[in-house]
Amino acid sequence: MSCGENMKRVMETIMIEKSKFIRCHTCEAVNYENQEKELFCRRCHSTIHQPLYISYHRTWAFLITAIILYIPANLYPILVTKQFGVQTNSTILGGIIHLWEVGSYPIALIILVASVFVPILKFIFITYLLLSTKYNVNSSRVDKYKLFYITEAIGPWSMIDVFVVIILSVLIHFSGVQVFPGAGATSFALMVFFTMLSALSFDTKLIKKGN
Amino acid sequence: MLTNKELDQFIICKKCNTLHRKIPLHQGGKALCSKCDTLIYRRDDNMIEKKLALVITTIISLVIAFQFTIISININGLERSLSLVSLFAVLVEHQQYLVGLMFLFLIVLFPLMMLSSMFFVLLFIKIKRYGYAVKRLLTLLAHIEHWNMLDIFFISLLVAMVKLFDYARIEIGISFVAFILTLGLELIITKNISFDELWRKYEKSYGDDYDREE
Repeated sequence: MSCGENMKRVMETIMIEKSKFIRCHTCEAVNYENQEKELFCRRCHSTIHQPLYISYHRTWAFLITAIILYIPANLYPILVTKQFGVQTNSTILGGIIHLWEVGSYPIALIILVASVFVPILKFIFITYLLLSTKYNVNSSRVDKYKLFYITEAIGPWSMIDVFVVIILSVLIHFSGVQVFPGAGATSFALMVFFTMLSALSFDTKLIKKGN
Repeated sequence: MLTNKELDQFIICKKCNTLHRKIPLHQGGKALCSKCDTLIYRRDDNMIEKKLALVITTIISLVIAFQFTIISININGLERSLSLVSLFAVLVEHQQYLVGLMFLFLIVLFPLMMLSSMFFVLLFIKIKRYGYAVKRLLTLLAHIEHWNMLDIFFISLLVAMVKLFDYARIEIGISFVAFILTLGLELIITKNISFDELWRKYEKSYGDDYDREE
């Protein structure tokens, strides 16, 4: 078979089987899709997806864990200040309000976006993506892929608040004045961890199935 | 059904999952997605050598960044300095073990693992040996990519510095400069490295079951 003829055959096959291909997350190779069953990549032999319902339920489980952890993360103090024996606690929202009142607006905005908006947006996005696979929602598939991509990209940025608290607790560590992370910091870090796990366990094939 | 070789002529956009056929590019050329304009692949004949040099530099600057003082503050004569050692000492003193463990993995271990496995992958592909290790390391790289939070740590450092700016004198240490260098280099590496290309090179060099018909 000549080269051109072969190419024509490949293109025809692709046109017929257009929606039957899937991208491997590990090595980016193009693979044949296999509905509902477990699928291994032809190139790197890693699992492309498990049966879809496993991914669906796992994502829900991680998401719910993260939402539950978000409650103590906001209620417990993320930063504890000990000034000559007197202890003051400040939560995430309290810290933001304090920064706003003091007048450092840019910092207040960064913390507000990173530790309040980003987690809530992630909860909403993942819930929407999961629900739209179960119920038919009128929105284009390309938009959903983009939404998932954004969800994955913004995830780790919520860690800013925890890191700032850690850095402050190292620097402000004198005999009279001390700053250290409270219980809120731990639950907040765990919350970010579980939202990232939830986004990672979401299978993009679920988007295809929903449409 | 198409064979593996024929499937290799295609590539899927990572953002919008559109299927594209690969076309030959000239040296340094880029290919963008037809739907969302994301960079899908580029041609760079010297990718391995260039990236190897960059990765070695990044590892050196990262080690420097982890060793010395990042910033130190001075409040009315009282001095404190931030380095990785003092950071873990304080976290252990305050009994924040879980946060400390997460910090250890996200800031220290994963970036080091990522860079060193990149180094070994590029080196092994260059000398065309140890195919089994290359495959394992490439798989590992794809998994720990998401968990590297060095850039986020640096932004937090800047936020903390602005917070302290009003009542402390801040001095920048050696590691601060090393951090900037590391992040810049890491950005260049992760923007330009193509895992698809590395996997193709892996198959070409080691070719275990490349021509197998499925």
